[in-house]
Amino acid sequence: MKNRTVILIVAVNLAALVMLAVFFPHLMVSPGKPIDAHAELATDCFACHTPFIGSPPTKCIACHKVEEIGKITTKGLPIEKEKKNVAFHQKLIEEDCVACHSDHKGVQAFRPIGQFSHQLLQPAVGKQCDSCHANPGDALHQKIEGNCGSCHTQARWTPATFEHDQYFRFDKHHRADCRTCHVESDYGKYTCYGCHEHSRSKIREEHVEEGIYDYEVCVECHRSGDEDEAEYIWRTKRMKQGGIKGEHRGFNRGKHNDDD
Amino acid sequence: MERSLIRKEVLPFLAIFGSLILATIITDALLHQFELVWIGRWLGIPGVILILLSFLYSMRKRKIISFGKPKILLALHETLTWLGALLILVHAGIHIYTILPWLALVAMMVNVISGMTGKYLLDRSRRFLAEKKAAFATQGLPEDEVERKLFWDATTFDLMKKWRAVHLPITLAFVVLGITHILSIFLFWEWK
Repeated sequence: MKNRTVILIVAVNLAALVMLAVFFPHLMVSPGKPIDAHAELATDCFACHTPFIGSPPTKCIACHKVEEIGKITTKGLPIEKEKKNVAFHQKLIEEDCVACHSDHKGVQAFRPIGQFSHQLLQPAVGKQCDSCHANPGDALHQKIEGNCGSCHTQARWTPATFEHDQYFRFDKHHRADCRTCHVESDYGKYTCYGCHEHSRSKIREEHVEEGIYDYEVCVECHRSGDEDEAEYIWRTKRMKQGGIKGEHRGFNRGKHNDDD
Repeated sequence: MERSLIRKEVLPFLAIFGSLILATIITDALLHQFELVWIGRWLGIPGVILILLSFLYSMRKRKIISFGKPKILLALHETLTWLGALLILVHAGIHIYTILPWLALVAMMVNVISGMTGKYLLDRSRRFLAEKKAAFATQGLPEDEVERKLFWDATTFDLMKKWRAVHLPITLAFVVLGITHILSIFLFWEWK
């Protein structure tokens, strides 16, 4: 076969393919059908694409006015089922529609809507978690309002971290299951009563002996099993409140742990 | 002396082709297992580069270039096309969304089969037939008896030769379809 013949055949094939791609783009080159709402655009690639550039936000905004997103449809009908408390499309730091949205089925695996980044939100909106997220409503969360970021990151709901140490540090004497202190999984409350010598009468007796009468909030002084630390905290607190008076100037016991 | 071309040559050919399919399935499964499917989307690029490098042999054979030992370049041609085809197969996955890239893929697979035919069923068969013919001759068999024994193998041999003849046009078809696919990606790709 002569070179010219081969080149001619190749050129004819190429031209035929280009023509097919031009007239049947949805069959030849489209990576899957667009979302149902854009079905009528399936054969009009350049409604969304700019050749050799991509899909700039201006193409989307031509139909989807930013101030209307989440409120009314492109046909002017009100969106009744909008569940979000804030129309966050209006609170984004930049217009970058394809950062979250993909139209073609074949692309959605690589650009899922779940990849939404909180970094796209204006900082003030980014901190209002409950504007978009509902409280899970379980025993742990139902008494918590706001401040989600102290345990959760914006990247994932789990793993969540909780700095229990800032309330009470676990030690060899306190490796208890959550429910031991947080009865009925109510993490808004705790109790120290019920373990070993932590009976109401013993605790009362020991504290009153030292002149301590406000002992109901245990972790205010007892941040761990270290009683010396509790003494220090108690003394510091009393000092701030105006000094230690009378005969109860402090603990008169030697160093020991509360489980001794 | 009942060695058959099928057993000696076709089966190794199928083994190499089968290993390509198996390697594709394993690679694809690993990408899914470790949630690295996105990598597959980019494997078309190294796949194409490997296949383009494999054309060094084709250019050497047609005296477009003069460097490199043909034997080494041929080994490179076979290895790089196998690897390139593997990457492109993984890149294609099993999702059929549109026609053009699949036409390119089919052309590539026909090309791979054609190339493997050239490797296993032509070159090695030719050597094997020459040995077989010499062995028959030393046994003192009449010429027509030797020809009869070799007939079926020789027929297969001729078919292989025809197979090889379609290797170049198939390559061109693959190149055209591949370029069209790549152009369409350049045209519609979200570059940001």
